[in-house]
Amino acid sequence: MPSFLPYLYHTLFPPTVRYPDILLIDFGLIMAGIGLLGFMTKTRRWGWLWREWLTTVDHKKIAVMYLIAAIVMLFRGGIDAEMLRAQLALPTTKFMPAAQYDEVFTTHGTIMIFFMAMPFIFALFNAVVPLMIGARDVAFPRINAMSYWLFAFGAILFNISFVIGGSPNAGWTAYPPYTGLAFNPGPGENYYFLALIIAGMGTTMTGVNFLVTTVRMRAPGMTLMRMPMFVWSTMITSALILFAFPPLTVALAMSLFDRLFGSSFFTLTRGGMPMMYVNLFWLFGHPEVYILVIPLFGVFSEVVSTFSKKQLFGYPVMVVSMLAIMFLSYGTWVHHFFTMGAGPAVNAFFGLSTMLIAIPTGVKIFNWIFTMWGGRIQLTVAMLYQLAFIPTFVIGGASGVMLAVVPADYQFHNSYFLIAHFHNVIIGGTLFGLLSGLYYWWPKMFGMKLNERQGKVAFWLFFIGFWITFTPQYLLGLKGMTRRLYTYPIGMGWHELNVISTFGALIMGAAFVALVYNIVWSLLYGEKDLTGDPWNGRTLEWALPSPVPEYNFARIPVVHERDAWWAMKQRGQSLADLKPEDVRDVEMPRNTPIPFLLGASFFVVGFGMTFKFWPIAIMGFVGVILCILFSGFDYEDHHHLKADVIRSTEASLGRLQG
Amino acid sequence: MSQVEQPLTIDEAYNQDNDRALKFLRPRFHEEKFPTIQILGYIGSLILTFGAYFLVMDHVLPPVSLLAVILALAVMQGALQIGVFMHVREGRGLAWQIVPLYLVFLIAMGMVGMSIWIMLFKSGVS
Amino acid sequence: MSLPLAEEQVQKLPLEFADEKESVNITGFWMFLVTDVLVFGSLFSTYAVMRHSYAMGPTADQLFKMGPVMLETLLLLTSSFTIGLGVFAMRKGQTRALMFWLLLTMLLGAGFVTTEIHDFVSFAAIGATWHTSAFLSAFDILVGTHGAHVTFGIFWALTLLLQLRKRGITARTARKIYTFSLYWHFLDIVWIFIFTFVYLNGKIV
Repeated sequence: MPSFLPYLYHTLFPPTVRYPDILLIDFGLIMAGIGLLGFMTKTRRWGWLWREWLTTVDHKKIAVMYLIAAIVMLFRGGIDAEMLRAQLALPTTKFMPAAQYDEVFTTHGTIMIFFMAMPFIFALFNAVVPLMIGARDVAFPRINAMSYWLFAFGAILFNISFVIGGSPNAGWTAYPPYTGLAFNPGPGENYYFLALIIAGMGTTMTGVNFLVTTVRMRAPGMTLMRMPMFVWSTMITSALILFAFPPLTVALAMSLFDRLFGSSFFTLTRGGMPMMYVNLFWLFGHPEVYILVIPLFGVFSEVVSTFSKKQLFGYPVMVVSMLAIMFLSYGTWVHHFFTMGAGPAVNAFFGLSTMLIAIPTGVKIFNWIFTMWGGRIQLTVAMLYQLAFIPTFVIGGASGVMLAVVPADYQFHNSYFLIAHFHNVIIGGTLFGLLSGLYYWWPKMFGMKLNERQGKVAFWLFFIGFWITFTPQYLLGLKGMTRRLYTYPIGMGWHELNVISTFGALIMGAAFVALVYNIVWSLLYGEKDLTGDPWNGRTLEWALPSPVPEYNFARIPVVHERDAWWAMKQRGQSLADLKPEDVRDVEMPRNTPIPFLLGASFFVVGFGMTFKFWPIAIMGFVGVILCILFSGFDYEDHHHLKADVIRSTEASLGRLQG
Repeated sequence: MSQVEQPLTIDEAYNQDNDRALKFLRPRFHEEKFPTIQILGYIGSLILTFGAYFLVMDHVLPPVSLLAVILALAVMQGALQIGVFMHVREGRGLAWQIVPLYLVFLIAMGMVGMSIWIMLFKSGVS
Repeated sequence: MSLPLAEEQVQKLPLEFADEKESVNITGFWMFLVTDVLVFGSLFSTYAVMRHSYAMGPTADQLFKMGPVMLETLLLLTSSFTIGLGVFAMRKGQTRALMFWLLLTMLLGAGFVTTEIHDFVSFAAIGATWHTSAFLSAFDILVGTHGAHVTFGIFWALTLLLQLRKRGITARTARKIYTFSLYWHFLDIVWIFIFTFVYLNGKIV
């Protein structure tokens, strides 16, 4: 088979991945990989890695793995963003070839949404939700691990595209016919569809898991209206995931079938309807933006009441407004494609339903402000992000209402005005919320505080950099600059604003560096959290030591009111007064390699299908079936943690009496 | 002197909330010696299915109302399956699945109906 | 939150609900079914939108033969009934009866899948594949996804039979049978909608 190797070479490494910069990155990746392998072998960490991390089912460790993945992906997506801004800073630039520019804006959007924001949110869910509701783990610990590994291998599959075969290049929405085989023959879009299907399965499982966890696993006495607001937002987000991801999976699968198996769903010939993909995609896509922001509404509610030293203002209204947002978010998806021309009745309906969402969101904003009103506000980093969030999100939301006006949308559509709008809500809402949550719960996850002074530097760089980057983009949009534009001629009146915007992007890059420095410095020298309650918190996770022992609660607490831990402190109670006889054996989930192997098998399926290497795909598929069979016949998925072990752990933490 | 109505304490209000949820989501278990309900359900499902079939094959109604009638029969059949065979009201404590099931029914119907409505514009073209 | 149940209340519950952990699994399976409803909802949406996009291919009226479809419907409805009897037997603790009904369900399901494949092969023989038109693509993926679910269900039932033979009716096997029955009835409901909205609707116009 002498022709096989050249064929393989040209398939895996087409000319688009032989640019000098990519070759350089390849070289860097190989060296880093060798270095890592060497380090792991030298320090004998392989067994530790396998036992403690790759096979773990502990929600707290899974949270850490999600967090690491999210920060790495934030780096990757951020580099993409900087490259885009470098290309657009000046007119007629050729910083990179046009084909590569298409790939970079596609991977920037996809990575930031699916592989940065989503895992970051799941990191927070995993880190604190079981602690907040007084549970020992999530409802399905193994499925939780499977979700993680499906996400992780989906992300790996997506990220290897730029060194093997070429990245997707049809935008993060992957509309046909750009993705059709006739116009886009390379493997890039196959990567996109398969990676998102695999990661999407993981996300759906996470949704099921956390919905059941919040519904069924709460401690005795914690009624629905006594749940912390973050638990409410977790429940609602999980329900949104349940309802939103199936249409995406279906749309992606149909696009993939068009490319691989010659079906005719979204083709331009044979009666196919490209706009039906758009319809299905946004049936998912609009709830998705609320999946990205509702958890952060929960984070902000926790942060604002903790650092204002007040109960959250208008708790029932907050719940109702989140539920209202959830319902309304299913009736607005056409506002992403008003210009399709579905007709005045359809567009008017969806324009109005979109504007309606501003009402419950506005209610929430006022509630946060009233929570702060008259409170003793501590300006910690988490609180600063909350304070920055309010104006940023309000302005982003207001420009969203402008976009919802259908006739105006015909002007704004696909312009930089839209780009500025959604970065305004996604960075202002999601990223600020994630960072707020990161600073707030970091002590609980890692047992030490993040340095506040360094954190404030990172915060101000993010906040100022954000506004310098995106304010000019509103104006650019109004001046007619469209999105996904490779370059533009001199004399459009765009380049001053573009230079400013790129300058802002550099500041945000500096902010990321400051954030990473802050994290690394704090891991090495950070102030240890010995009390377990560094912020004088209100909810149950602060009743536990930091970091939390494997079994979370030695004795499951009984809840009598909202802000349970705060009330316990007011009454002079704590969870640190265990008597030895209170401690019983605890049933804990047993570690298992199946989730990791399942993810790896799906990765093999995805890789094989991307390049139509059918034998490889079938091998992976067999692996998937074997994993499912093994977990089906495995009845030994729990082990008993002995009461003595718990007693000695609690005693060493000084939480045991007598 | 008539009893003055005291305002509820927060705890009592919560308990009322819980009672209300309980009324709506209270699980029920059927226990019988002979599977009467299952047999009746099976016969019912056969009647509904073959009824729809003969309605269509004999074209007893104009097309639009015919479609409406057979869809109604399908929804009845679905409700029958969920109620009789899937024991939708069973649960431990509360039958939590009822709420998402109502929601998903609404959303699925909305999804299909709205998609048809939105994509109508295409029919003029192709 | 599970309401605190008294011991005598728990005693009255069927096995799969008496065990707290297993009952959480049942709630989880309902949530999975919710996502699956929407998978089929999306496929139905696609079919609803594309059902007249015949391109140059055959129309629904020309293509569908009601004979095999009625046979499939009868087989699936009956299998839904038999697994219902299986759960009934399980609640009575009759392992052998349960295994019998489960086996019968599998056979009926296998009959359904065989008839369906036969139907699809006959479509392919006259050139009606999903390459032909958007209508056929939407039809094939809707009916095919359902068929794949049924096929998966048959193999699932097989693994359950093996577990039952080894372990008998315990809290966990009872929960597995119960979730399988939920899955199977759900597929029956989906089929009723396919039967109504695809096949019968194709014969109306």
